[in-house]
Amino acid sequence: MKNFFVLFMKEMRESMRNGKWIWLPVVLIIIGISQPLTSYYMPQILEAAGNLPDGAVIDIPTPTGEEVLIGVMSQYGTIGTLLFVLATMGVISQERQNGSLMLVMVRPVSAFQYIASKFASQLVILLAALISSYVLAWYYTNLLFTSVSWTLMLGSLAVYSLWIVFIVAVTILVGTLLRNNGGIAGVSVLFLATVSLLTTLFPKYMEYSPGNIRAQASILLLEGEWVRSITNVVGTTVGLSVLCFLLAVVWFKRFERYDG
Amino acid sequence: MLVTVKDLTKKYKEHVAVNEISFSIEKGKCIALLGPNGAGKTTTLQMLAGLLTPTSGKIEFAGYEKSDYRALIGFLPQHPSFFNWMTPKEFLQFAGELSHIPKKRLASRIDEVLAFVSLDQVKQKKIGGFSGGMKQRLGLAQALLHEPELLILDEPVSALDPTGRRDVLQLIEQLKREMTILFSTHILHDAEQVCEQIIMLKDGNVKWDGTLGLLKNEFDSLAMKVKTVEPIKGCLDTLDFIEEIEYVDVTTAKVMLRDQSETNLLLQALIRENKTVIHFEAMQDSLEDAYMKVMNS
Repeated sequence: MKNFFVLFMKEMRESMRNGKWIWLPVVLIIIGISQPLTSYYMPQILEAAGNLPDGAVIDIPTPTGEEVLIGVMSQYGTIGTLLFVLATMGVISQERQNGSLMLVMVRPVSAFQYIASKFASQLVILLAALISSYVLAWYYTNLLFTSVSWTLMLGSLAVYSLWIVFIVAVTILVGTLLRNNGGIAGVSVLFLATVSLLTTLFPKYMEYSPGNIRAQASILLLEGEWVRSITNVVGTTVGLSVLCFLLAVVWFKRFERYDG
Repeated sequence: MLVTVKDLTKKYKEHVAVNEISFSIEKGKCIALLGPNGAGKTTTLQMLAGLLTPTSGKIEFAGYEKSDYRALIGFLPQHPSFFNWMTPKEFLQFAGELSHIPKKRLASRIDEVLAFVSLDQVKQKKIGGFSGGMKQRLGLAQALLHEPELLILDEPVSALDPTGRRDVLQLIEQLKREMTILFSTHILHDAEQVCEQIIMLKDGNVKWDGTLGLLKNEFDSLAMKVKTVEPIKGCLDTLDFIEEIEYVDVTTAKVMLRDQSETNLLLQALIRENKTVIHFEAMQDSLEDAYMKVMNS
């Protein structure tokens, strides 16, 4: 347990020094607040574009606060997922490639402690970025549109966070399987995209798929209450994340070597 | 006995890197693992350090029950790499905490080992800017930090310039008094300088395991160099205790004896022949010769 904490603190200091703690929240905040702002100013933006024929009437129904927050989550869905994968891909492979992993593993460190420290530290950074971005977007939504209660905001955030947990779990698992950063990012993104695509293509068979997380967070916002389907998807997402994590630990134990 | 290694084997698919080697390490000894590139030295050391899982075989530490004995070992890899954004002090702090060194002890230990490897001047500088020699010394510092029972050094001097090499060898010389050291090298001279015991590996097999003195004795050629004032040729040919004679010039010969104890007979024979002996020397094989003999046998 102590070693987990030591490794975790090292990860925190590392991401502090290499600026991950700055760029990741900044990029996510920009993505997050751009949604309420562009929704609000859309008529003016279209007008300023100025290539509409005279007399054209722009009538965009003002979305509700809940709908804007759903829009925010869909923004995270595409660029956000890519960003999260890119931020996580190198955490193990980098230490493996440059050989610094070896000087960690000569000490009494277990595979579980090592993988858990990577997993937890990535989650803390990504979730902190997500929370700051989402809360700011919520703040602007309340200013510019109808207000959404903070309990609903937190509820949808908590449900959506599980998608991040799933992304990190998948990327870390792929990160133990492959050595090359490009490969890790490629395979992880491909896998996550496939899950999302299958979920949209076969809604009947993919009811419990983690790809449904965003839809469930939206349902929570629209319905205003926790429904059965949310529990199901949350259950499978947590379950699959734990599975990925355990597989990563098992795979890490089977490493033939810690350098290159 | 500190460590007993039994039938240690490592296979990578078809390739056998280390083939059922067995040896033991006595406490307080300094042992060199010698062998050409690709002999399996690094693989053996990494298995001992707990970084590689052996395909089969056992590694046992005397009086240690747990199967994970990494706490007892200090390891310096061939090319140590650190987290470049850290300073030496930060890295040692991190490494020490992973080895569960109590806080107060750790603070003083860090200063001690940094002073020992003479990195105390640069302890607040980023490791990223260090030269190869400095990284090697920092690697040694982290291996010593937790005062391990067994210090394993993988080619500690191979990548260093002559000054760095001398520095590190001197450090090893000092460490010998405090702990058991096992280090690998392909340079005989280094082994000869600091070690008592030598284990030679070739193609994953132990070719020789014993002390330096034994190695020299075993492969002693039993040759005598004889020089006389008078021409020497012809007068020794009939003696039966001589195996072979090689004449260097008219007055000098290299004489191979059947038995080392018969040198006196040779001298007597020369005197009987009325030769004036001006040089009479037992020719010792250098370690290099012994090494070549072991490797080619």
